[in-house]
Amino acid sequence: MRTVLFLFLAALLPGQALAANQVALANDVFVERISTDAQGKQRILLEEPKVVVPGDRLVFVLNYRNAGAQPADKFVITNPLPAAVRFADAGETRPLVSIDGGRSWGQLDQLTVALNDGTRRAAQPDDVTHIRWAFQKPIPVGGSGKLMFRGVVK
Amino acid sequence: MMNAPVGGAKHQLLPSCSILALLAAFALPMQAQAAGTRAGSTISNTASASFDTGGGSTTINSNQVDLLVDELLDVTVDSSNPADVPTTPGATAQVLTFSVTNNGNGVENFVLSTIANAGGDNYDPVVTQIYIDNGDGVFDAGTDTLYTPGANDPQLDPDESVTIFVVATTPGGVVDGNRGIVSLVAAAVTGTGDPGDSFAGQGEGGGDAVVGSTGADGTDAGAFIVSAATVTLVKSAVVTNSLGTADPIPGATITYTIVATVAGSGSVSGLAITDNIPGDTSYVASSITLGGVAQSDAVDADAGDYNGTRINVALGTVAGGQTRTVTFRTTID
Repeated sequence: MRTVLFLFLAALLPGQALAANQVALANDVFVERISTDAQGKQRILLEEPKVVVPGDRLVFVLNYRNAGAQPADKFVITNPLPAAVRFADAGETRPLVSIDGGRSWGQLDQLTVALNDGTRRAAQPDDVTHIRWAFQKPIPVGGSGKLMFRGVVK
Repeated sequence: MMNAPVGGAKHQLLPSCSILALLAAFALPMQAQAAGTRAGSTISNTASASFDTGGGSTTINSNQVDLLVDELLDVTVDSSNPADVPTTPGATAQVLTFSVTNNGNGVENFVLSTIANAGGDNYDPVVTQIYIDNGDGVFDAGTDTLYTPGANDPQLDPDESVTIFVVATTPGGVVDGNRGIVSLVAAAVTGTGDPGDSFAGQGEGGGDAVVGSTGADGTDAGAFIVSAATVTLVKSAVVTNSLGTADPIPGATITYTIVATVAGSGSVSGLAITDNIPGDTSYVASSITLGGVAQSDAVDADAGDYNGTRINVALGTVAGGQTRTVTFRTTID
């Protein structure tokens, strides 16, 4: 048992450490609040999540940067959705999503969910368990970018 | 390589513990309910990136963001009476039933109060007590709990409801058709206010408590409707004699007709018509009729009887809008 654990950690830890010198992925979460001014104009504000209650819209922002000396090929970012968050949208970023815990992936409008009566229904944002962006081209040395998605606190 | 020394038994336990802690953090928000994620739970988010810089596939994790879920204060009150509750003038222990539901995401106490003088009705019921149901949904002052504000404010888990009974007295001066409204108000003990107002550090689990869309207080109205009935008796007499005239001469027969009219939306119970036989007249045996049906003079299965001095017809319960006609005859001595 001890040996197995040791091997597992040995495989995991150096990978993280090495990667920290090359590619960085930063995760920030904001609360999206809509305020209406005296003229009735709505403004959307992104706030630090000091107070979070059910129904709040969260904006998850992922910043990636390749600070290494080699291009990062087959670049895939995966974000498991916290269980207490219902997926809302991912803006224009068109991610792949999973509705089965990360086993299979597709565009949300192409996925279906099996029902008890044998039929299938179209997948809804509610069903999403994971979000993934798979980049077609390598991230060049020094390249960076930002991804985002929105969710609602259940 | 800087911060990840590998090897040596003492390093093995520490990272395995932190992996367990991470799993536990993901497990917590699973308790989500209809009222929402439980206050005090943590939403943890971590993303990962995999890529290949020439040496095979590598996976890195982002930083982990932990959000503490704050408590939302929301409550609704609903009247459980499908229609106005009938009452009668002066009646005591008249009951309206309400349900109070915690729509927030944390356990919360709610203070209860009533409003009976808000207008929009004909009279103000006098609220005497509020009771907290024991769970059977039926009011019983012996088994339900008398409510005292501040002492036993009901505590509700998220999504939990409790049945509340408001006990009132109907004033004596009300009349048939009068309506009296009583509203039950339930307010979060932590605080109420405008949606978005917050109470720092007062939420379940150590976060803030935030006023939800209900303002953290709820109210609903129930109503009593006075259902009373009045009885009007009209008595008339017709004299017939052997001369074929209406003169009240000795030997003439007097036929008395008593019409009882019940008016109102309620009904009267135990209604009986009693009439003494006038002096200088004699009751004609077996002459009582009710609704045209002859009644015997004995106290028996039928409604009428004669005891030597008066006739009596027991009408029982008569609903508003109905009439009963009783006749009997006497002869002039």
